[in-house]
Amino acid sequence: MTARLVGATIGLLFTASLAWAADPVKIGLSGPFTGGSSAMGVSMRDGVKLAVDEINKAGGVLGGRPIQLVERDDQAKNEIGVQIAQELINKEQVAATIGYINTGVALASQRFYQEAEIPVMNCVATGSKVTKQFAAPDFEHNYVFRNAANDTIQSGMIAAEAITRQGFKKPAILADSSNYGQLGRADLTAALAKLSVTPVASEKFNVGDTDMTAQVLKAKEAGADVILTYAIGPELAQIANAMAKLGWKVPLIGSWTLSMSSFIDTAGANGEGAMMPQTFIQLPTTPKRKSFIEAYQKTYNIDRIPSPVSAAQGYDAVLLLAAAINQAKSTEGPKIREALENLQSKVEGVVTNYDHPYSAADHETVTDNIPVFGLVKGGRVVPAHPEDLEGDKALRLKTKS
Amino acid sequence: MGVLAQLIVSGISVGMIYAVIAFGYQLTFATSKTLNFGQGEALMLGALVGLTTVNFLIGASLGNLTAYLLMLPLVCLFGMAQGAAVEFLGVRQALRTKSDAGWIMATIALGIILRNAAEIIWGRDSLKFPSPLPESALSVGPVRIQPMEIAVVVGALLLMALVELFNRRSIYGKAVVATANDRDAAGLMGINTRLVITFSYALSSMAAAFAGVLVAPLTLTGASMGAVLGLKAFAVAIIGGLSSGVGVIVGGLILGITETLTGYYVSSGYKDVPGLILLLLVLSLKPSGIFGKAAIKKV
Repeated sequence: MTARLVGATIGLLFTASLAWAADPVKIGLSGPFTGGSSAMGVSMRDGVKLAVDEINKAGGVLGGRPIQLVERDDQAKNEIGVQIAQELINKEQVAATIGYINTGVALASQRFYQEAEIPVMNCVATGSKVTKQFAAPDFEHNYVFRNAANDTIQSGMIAAEAITRQGFKKPAILADSSNYGQLGRADLTAALAKLSVTPVASEKFNVGDTDMTAQVLKAKEAGADVILTYAIGPELAQIANAMAKLGWKVPLIGSWTLSMSSFIDTAGANGEGAMMPQTFIQLPTTPKRKSFIEAYQKTYNIDRIPSPVSAAQGYDAVLLLAAAINQAKSTEGPKIREALENLQSKVEGVVTNYDHPYSAADHETVTDNIPVFGLVKGGRVVPAHPEDLEGDKALRLKTKS
Repeated sequence: MGVLAQLIVSGISVGMIYAVIAFGYQLTFATSKTLNFGQGEALMLGALVGLTTVNFLIGASLGNLTAYLLMLPLVCLFGMAQGAAVEFLGVRQALRTKSDAGWIMATIALGIILRNAAEIIWGRDSLKFPSPLPESALSVGPVRIQPMEIAVVVGALLLMALVELFNRRSIYGKAVVATANDRDAAGLMGINTRLVITFSYALSSMAAAFAGVLVAPLTLTGASMGAVLGLKAFAVAIIGGLSSGVGVIVGGLILGITETLTGYYVSSGYKDVPGLILLLLVLSLKPSGIFGKAAIKKV
């Protein structure tokens, strides 16, 4: 009787531990896989999947549990992002979520993770406010992390590149009327003001506008010597095409969306020479980047990554999260957050190497020394200043404050 | 001076697109006093069907221009079929039951369904339409203009002229005019007014589909391209008057040119405002439109 009971108990324990070992760790993935932002969303997803496959092949996390991705298409729409957040939290019970291309979707959806105490890794959305939404002192703990170059960094870089490095004096700003464009325009104006430059024109257009003649003409007549942009691919292409139509050629420098394939392919020859900040350019400048690019090309059977920045940041987000889960020895949100804020192991990523990337007060991995300027050339993004990526400058580490 | 001329030229080509779509509103309003609120979607579908056709023909190693010209009649046929379907599904029942508002919801609903279907078939990305004409701009005095912009103006005028000619000269056109004047009397004269109304819907969607392939090479093609254009064209139809062919052309030009002028001289943030103010003014001062005939409704 006792023996049978012991045997049954052992058996029960055994099956329970087996189930435990095979029990996957669920990670949510939310991004636009269709629509105007899909080049970024799909590249991010593919980068994330690449990292998850590598981790699972090497034995998963928490001593043998595979990571299981739960992918959802938020269509770049705030309300769908919110639905997905609730589904991932309540139904799928994910340990953490990676994602968000669009600042608006991130801001609308993150609050549900904050309330449920589940970490969010923003790997693409750039709005300056994204990691500040639940920052101290208003909130005790912030569950929102990011490993992308935010708009404060990008606008500062754009202003410095145009005014300081290239010596332009009369910038014109062209931004779309979305949150992204208008917040970016404000950041850019502030960054220019720091260099005591006032834009000669500051024009706005709607997403979906078909004719940019008035805006471009205004910049031209104001005597602009450089155009600074904050918009997304299709409208950026309209700007480049309107400039070509008016027979006016000045440099186009703008936020990282100028690297979107929807801009490069639609603008064609008119988009050549456009410059934008990039945390990653598809070039094998470090061994990790080389293996990442080769694995991406082989797995997805393409030569040009549609949005290399999104792919690399998605990949790195998984590595950081996996390291934190291992350190937390748990899938509980608060423990993963603590581990992320005090990450002991060094993580070798594609964008950079991470050594204590986050702290309780700082939820950003990218500082303004990390991105370099990319340049559209022959339908691809290449470094604008190749010397920026030479030798030991290829790997740029976060500056400690 | 150069700037003003440039802005007016750009405004004209935008305005002519509005005019063709507004012309479509006017065609159905004339025969049945109903409108297809899915005009923007008819335009979008025309452009996407045109894109697929053009890509197929270019794939069969035809030149861009040949492919474009071959595609035009196909897209017009597709537009007619689509318009007839909208009338059959959405408007006929409402007219038969003399419902005042049923057709409004029905055509809006069909528009949404068509847009969702297009998203499923073509995806939600904006696609590039291969330009049939060279994309480098021509210099005409101080003005620079793309060949396709000229083609838009010429094509739009040509289409409207042909449809008007058809309505005035052919026996079918006379039936259309008769129905427009008095549907009941036309019915008593042996005209199949139901068929005439279906036909006017077919022509209306054909105009929209044609506008779609005209504007597509200048912009991008995608499931959401029709929404804004359809709405602006509606404003044009109201400004110009729903019963006047000249009205939609003038209305289109007024709206297109005020948009570009405001964008330049006032602020690009207020680009759409003067057109809408004009719409409100017309509605309050001359509700039948600048060129519209005041309708006397006998009670």
